[in-house]
Amino acid sequence: MALESIALEHLPASHTVHTALFRNVKNASFLHQQLLAGNKDFEYALIDASVIMSRLHALAAAYRAVNDSLESRLRSRNVHSEIVFSLSPNNNIAESFRRFGITPQTTNLLAIKVSTPSSPATATEIQSHLSKEVDGEQVEFSDEVLQTMTDLARVKKIYKLNSTGGGNNGGKKGVNGTSGLGASGLEDERKELEILVLGSMALRGATN
Amino acid sequence: MIAIGLEGSANKLGVGVISHSPHGKPAQILSNIRHTFVSPPGEGFLPKDTAKHHRSWVIKLVKQAMAQAGVSIADVDCICYTKGPGMGAPLQSVAVAARMLSLLWQKELVGVNHCVGHIEMGREITGAQNPVVLYVSGGNTQVIAYAEQRYRIFGEALDIAVGNCLDRFARTLEISNDPAPGYNIEQLAKKGKVLLDLPYAVKGMDCSFSGILASIDILAAELKANPEQRDPITGEVITTADLCFSLQETVFAMLVEITERAMAHVGSNQVLIVGGVGCNERLQEMMGLMAKDRGGSVFATDERFCIDNGIMIAHAGLLAYETGFRTPLEESTCTQRFRTDEVFVKWRD
Amino acid sequence: METETIPAIETAPIERPPLPPVFQYPSAVPPSLITQGAEALLYRSTYLLPTLPCALKYRPPKPYRHPTLDLRLTKHRILSEARVLAKCRREGVPVPAVYALDETAGWLMIEWIEGEVVRIRLNEWLQQRKDEGIAEGVDDDRLVRLMERVGRAVGRMHAVGVVHGDLTTSNMMLRPGRHAGPDGDSAVGDVLAGDIVLIDFGLASQSTQDEDRAVDLYVLERAFGSTHPRAESLFKVVLGAYGKSFKGADVVLKRLEDVRMRGRKRSMLG
Repeated sequence: MALESIALEHLPASHTVHTALFRNVKNASFLHQQLLAGNKDFEYALIDASVIMSRLHALAAAYRAVNDSLESRLRSRNVHSEIVFSLSPNNNIAESFRRFGITPQTTNLLAIKVSTPSSPATATEIQSHLSKEVDGEQVEFSDEVLQTMTDLARVKKIYKLNSTGGGNNGGKKGVNGTSGLGASGLEDERKELEILVLGSMALRGATN
Repeated sequence: MIAIGLEGSANKLGVGVISHSPHGKPAQILSNIRHTFVSPPGEGFLPKDTAKHHRSWVIKLVKQAMAQAGVSIADVDCICYTKGPGMGAPLQSVAVAARMLSLLWQKELVGVNHCVGHIEMGREITGAQNPVVLYVSGGNTQVIAYAEQRYRIFGEALDIAVGNCLDRFARTLEISNDPAPGYNIEQLAKKGKVLLDLPYAVKGMDCSFSGILASIDILAAELKANPEQRDPITGEVITTADLCFSLQETVFAMLVEITERAMAHVGSNQVLIVGGVGCNERLQEMMGLMAKDRGGSVFATDERFCIDNGIMIAHAGLLAYETGFRTPLEESTCTQRFRTDEVFVKWRD
Repeated sequence: METETIPAIETAPIERPPLPPVFQYPSAVPPSLITQGAEALLYRSTYLLPTLPCALKYRPPKPYRHPTLDLRLTKHRILSEARVLAKCRREGVPVPAVYALDETAGWLMIEWIEGEVVRIRLNEWLQQRKDEGIAEGVDDDRLVRLMERVGRAVGRMHAVGVVHGDLTTSNMMLRPGRHAGPDGDSAVGDVLAGDIVLIDFGLASQSTQDEDRAVDLYVLERAFGSTHPRAESLFKVVLGAYGKSFKGADVVLKRLEDVRMRGRKRSMLG
């Protein structure tokens, strides 16, 4: 399984987002240490994948960070730390690192790297560096795999979505006459949760 | 056909004589004269005094209008008067004059809705076919579009009219009411530069002005107490002109916005501005910029027509008369409340 | 004295403002303009991936407005619209989801809603009926049910403390039903089928005041009257369903009567 390179919509072609997902990571403590030490070889967004719901969830953070970087309004050190911060529903940067960033206990790891004109790393270079430094099993960056890693209760807690009415398909009778959870109810609920998470991220710091 | 129109719903008394020729030729304005009751600075015009003004001038104006038009009593087909909306006492004084003429000359009466008068005269003068109409005056703020034999009101002021807001601020500043308070605000606003924060109150296609008036009155009181105030951003000294400028920029932005919403809603790209506030050049300019953005155009009239006048009453009345509409003597009342959309517009498709 | 015509003040070709820089970057399909509303340009575009359609709402600077006022209003409206949408969505009101925004640049990206606005569906239906020679005033169950769904959707929104500020039948989508349940709103060829989704929250605000709610209904009532003259009577059905949709709705309906009365008074001097 190799890393996936994605050209996000409405970003310059020169800014490619590379993603690599790992499970059973054994050297999180070492990787975490490299970030703390500011090791230039480890310019990645290293995200604890247990708080990531889906591809869109992670890509939305990458999009916002790259966009803010293009508009010269990064709030953190660089585009990679900004990706971690962009997952946050509020403006507390340190807290966002604790919640979404790699910790010594992390076993499911999502690594995101943005190649830019000033730092034009190729997919091959990034893959070989990650293969060398991450002691874990690389898996497909897909919704199916991410779902096996997500700690939904934690996600709901972080984004304060516990008391949700459940969106369009909640337990209450909907306004359009649909009621309860159908056969596809669980999937719908997850989809709805993802949508609420995206909304919280987009509105970071602009809450009431 | 020829009609004489009498208008006196507020502080202007207007008499006009119009002639409609067959075959869709433009109407001919034979005369259009006006006399305005001007109150002293710091005061509005009171109904009682305004009615007295109209009573003492109406005969003189009718004689003058007939003479200027060069028509005889025999040439006149009907007598049109403003039925409403407006201030009760002035409306009554003019209705009485119209009834008297009707009996004296043996001519039929046509009661006209003041707002419809503005709209029809505006359409006639500008050639605008089917515009969204912004009607802005001391008593009315309405966004109107025609549909199925009615001028339907899409948006309006939920409290005081925009012209009333401007007039009352002129009173706060104790500036002259001659020729009109709004005109003097406009001249002052031209010298303003600093935009002060005022509430911006648009709800759908409706808007509200009383909160803005309260805020600008507070700012005026603060300025009076401390004339050395500076704008925190530019450091410029705040002047009375800045207050007028801020007030106009804010309320006109609201008016243009609700007009644009109505245009988007009905899919029209023509705007017609009528009513006294419609004379304001800044409002016309802003409306023009909006219409340009939408690939449309703005139609506005000058002070002869946008300020209350007799000719518009004659014109709208004659349009109704030609479709067979009459107001029998016993029904020739007037009313302070008369919605634009109550009129059945038989003369349009 | 011949009447001269006063010509139009200005006539010019339409020049659309350029999109903000971020949307000038490549995407699988370039943003396509759907409508020019009064306030905003609405584009169909994609978010993150070519497979995810989105609605891009761009509020270009208004040249008629003072730049300071313009920036203040644009920022305020983008943020308040996004906040209100997110709140509604969290609380089960059918609205588009928020994807991304930039209040300074004046854009908001939201979920793409399939379907058509209620105004168009309603007029299609009225035309169909006319063509089929069905008399006006004959009650049709499908139409009544649609009006009930409208009433419930508005009620749900009010119940969570949001007022729309510009309720019209152009600001409600009829989305093809994803759930063809026993309520069966998806009969083939039924132009009135589908789920109501409320859109365009550009003038929305958070309020639980009966007055604000009543004004919301009043705006909708007038929009019904002005765009669907023949459907005016149906508004009673909307209000009926609204009245049952949340606790306190009956108080709002009482208040609506006051608002109507004031509306009628408004043609007099201020």
